[in-house]
Amino acid sequence: MTTPNHRPAGQWTLIFRRFKTHRVAMWCLYLITTIYVLSMFASVIAPYKRDAISLDNAYTTPFSTAPDGSYHVFGTDHLGRDFFTRLIYAARVSLTTAITVTTVSTLIGIVVGLTAGYFGGIVDTITSRMIEFISTFPTFTLLLIAGSIAIQNSDDIPIPALLSQTIGAIMAVNEREGKQVVMIMVIFIALGWTGVARFVRGMVLSIREQLYVESSRALGASHLHNIITHVLPNAMPPIIVAYTLGLSGALVAESALSFLGFGIQDPTPSWGNMLSFANSYMFNYPWMPLVPTLPILVCSLAINYIGDGLRDALDPRVQTEVTRAKRDALLKAIRDRSAAS
Amino acid sequence: MATFLIRRLIQMFLVLIASAVVSYVLLYFAPGGPMTGLRQTQQSGRNKISADDIARIKQRFELDLYIPYRFTRWLVGFPAGPVTIAGQTFLADVAAGCKTPGMVRLRYPDGRTEIIEEGCEVPITFADLVDRRTSRGILFGDFGLSQVMLRDRPISTLIASRLPYTLQLMGASILISIAIGVPLGIYSAVRQYSRFDYAMTTVSFVGSSLPTFVIGIICILVFAIGAKEAGFIYLPPGNAVSNKDYVIPYIGEVIASSTLDRVLHFIMPLGVLVFVNIAGYSRFIRSGMLEVLRQDYVRTARAKGLRERTVVLKHALRNAILPFITLLAGVMAELFGGAAITEAIFNWPGLGRLLVDSIERNDYSVTMGLTMVSIFLLLLGYLITDILYSILDPRIRLS
Repeated sequence: MTTPNHRPAGQWTLIFRRFKTHRVAMWCLYLITTIYVLSMFASVIAPYKRDAISLDNAYTTPFSTAPDGSYHVFGTDHLGRDFFTRLIYAARVSLTTAITVTTVSTLIGIVVGLTAGYFGGIVDTITSRMIEFISTFPTFTLLLIAGSIAIQNSDDIPIPALLSQTIGAIMAVNEREGKQVVMIMVIFIALGWTGVARFVRGMVLSIREQLYVESSRALGASHLHNIITHVLPNAMPPIIVAYTLGLSGALVAESALSFLGFGIQDPTPSWGNMLSFANSYMFNYPWMPLVPTLPILVCSLAINYIGDGLRDALDPRVQTEVTRAKRDALLKAIRDRSAAS
Repeated sequence: MATFLIRRLIQMFLVLIASAVVSYVLLYFAPGGPMTGLRQTQQSGRNKISADDIARIKQRFELDLYIPYRFTRWLVGFPAGPVTIAGQTFLADVAAGCKTPGMVRLRYPDGRTEIIEEGCEVPITFADLVDRRTSRGILFGDFGLSQVMLRDRPISTLIASRLPYTLQLMGASILISIAIGVPLGIYSAVRQYSRFDYAMTTVSFVGSSLPTFVIGIICILVFAIGAKEAGFIYLPPGNAVSNKDYVIPYIGEVIASSTLDRVLHFIMPLGVLVFVNIAGYSRFIRSGMLEVLRQDYVRTARAKGLRERTVVLKHALRNAILPFITLLAGVMAELFGGAAITEAIFNWPGLGRLLVDSIERNDYSVTMGLTMVSIFLLLLGYLITDILYSILDPRIRLS
């Protein structure tokens, strides 16, 4: 009898293999990774200083030379700052914000949703009521209000210096700017975790009733063991899809907020606030809004394609749950979108 | 059903009050308000403002009352003065606020002095509240006065002037999107993997991934700026009416605020919202239909020899449409809340832009009013959805 010389491929390997067959999604993954990694080397790549103002060079058209002889690939803005440089730094700010916000709110959502769904009872009642209560608020309105308050009182809001410094370092901004970004993140997380929690809770409720969980309990496994080895892995695939969609949601919401002037403030570059300036000069310089629009457009499309690819790649065994998760995610996306249209 | 309704209404009421408290507290900590500008004037030296002026202005905006009373006066219009029961007045001496705060001079050991406000010299009692304008309470539909945007004019005037625009834009866009999006989704699902389905899914995928402001800006660039440069028929880029006559190629002169003018201004914001909504709705209906079409009862229906049309529209659609109803719960709030970003981009004078403007200008009473309306409508939407659900789906019983 021959022993197989390799272990059968695990679930994640299978998922990854299937994901690779989705060409567009794969390219989008490369694209996003490249953009983010490049933005981490912003200080090396960027041809100019981030906030270098030079009024003589203002409104230089893309692919052309400014009056003082300097070349600007994407042109310059109303203050003569190089668009390409700012786009790279903005990628760092916008993408880091989106990733941090989605990751933290997903983690909170998983913990809360798992606890509520797995243990049920009073914990479940309280958390569900709380989640329901938070979801009755018009999210986008609240984002606007909270953003406006946070920006105007940024000195009075206590944010640990270490946190703003760390975030600042990741985004290559100073501590003051870092603090502002942290405030925006906190607002997004505070409003964002409920969706994930509700969704995880629903899934855990059905997984908890499965026979394998029951038999594991009967064999004397602890709750913690059960959650880690049975519940969580089975709940994971739909969570990953929701995470991807949440990522594009956070990216769009941040740029929308900054676009309206309640998010990340100039001179900290973010694609949203760059667009809001460019937007006011669009009648004289129609090319101007196109420059910051491009990365928003590319990134939100790319992230959605990755989510699409992941959805197709997920194990067919959990297909029914995935379809439900998919529909929930779609429902949430449409709701968020209509709130933020 | 009756018990369900009563319980839900009570629940709704409690949630409404709770959210009122939360948003009031949130905005109370907000900076700005009518006193900000005054302090600046005061510091500039000219037009000295006396303590009396400050007290008067504080009184007008109720800033001299204690928070709990301010909140209840805003919410239900109580206290509006001493309580009179059977000819006897009660509570006339209860302090509701502070007219002049006490001043305490602090002297530090190093010789510096500082004057701080502490305690209350002249309190405001319930009896003093009689002369004030008291809002009947937001719960009873009195929003109070605007502080910045329209000084001292009722917020309801402000809302009434914006409401028609929002209703027009949102109503039309929602109706058109449902009328087009639902059939498209059904057709796409029935003809899954056809060329039409591929085209449809790609377009709606792109449409629902792109942020509205990106679509809006691209539309303005193409249909307003680009088309005008190229000498084609172009659309006005913003506002609901223009204030000057203008000429559009092939159409001729457009007279300001004529029907044609209004229609031309309406097309672009409407188009953007319709596009975005159709993308979302059709994807949603498609995925629901695909799930239902795989079910056994659909196969049974086909096996019975029913026409495909009957199978799709009677057996499948009725089940696929259910989750769509949930989606519509938010529609009512949306209808009155407007679309903040689209309205901001196209300068559309609706409630969504009013909200953004009021936040920007720190006119919190307006923000609060709009927030309360949208929370109320959202809750009402959920209630109506639940009732509709039980009517459309006999499997669900309300209890």
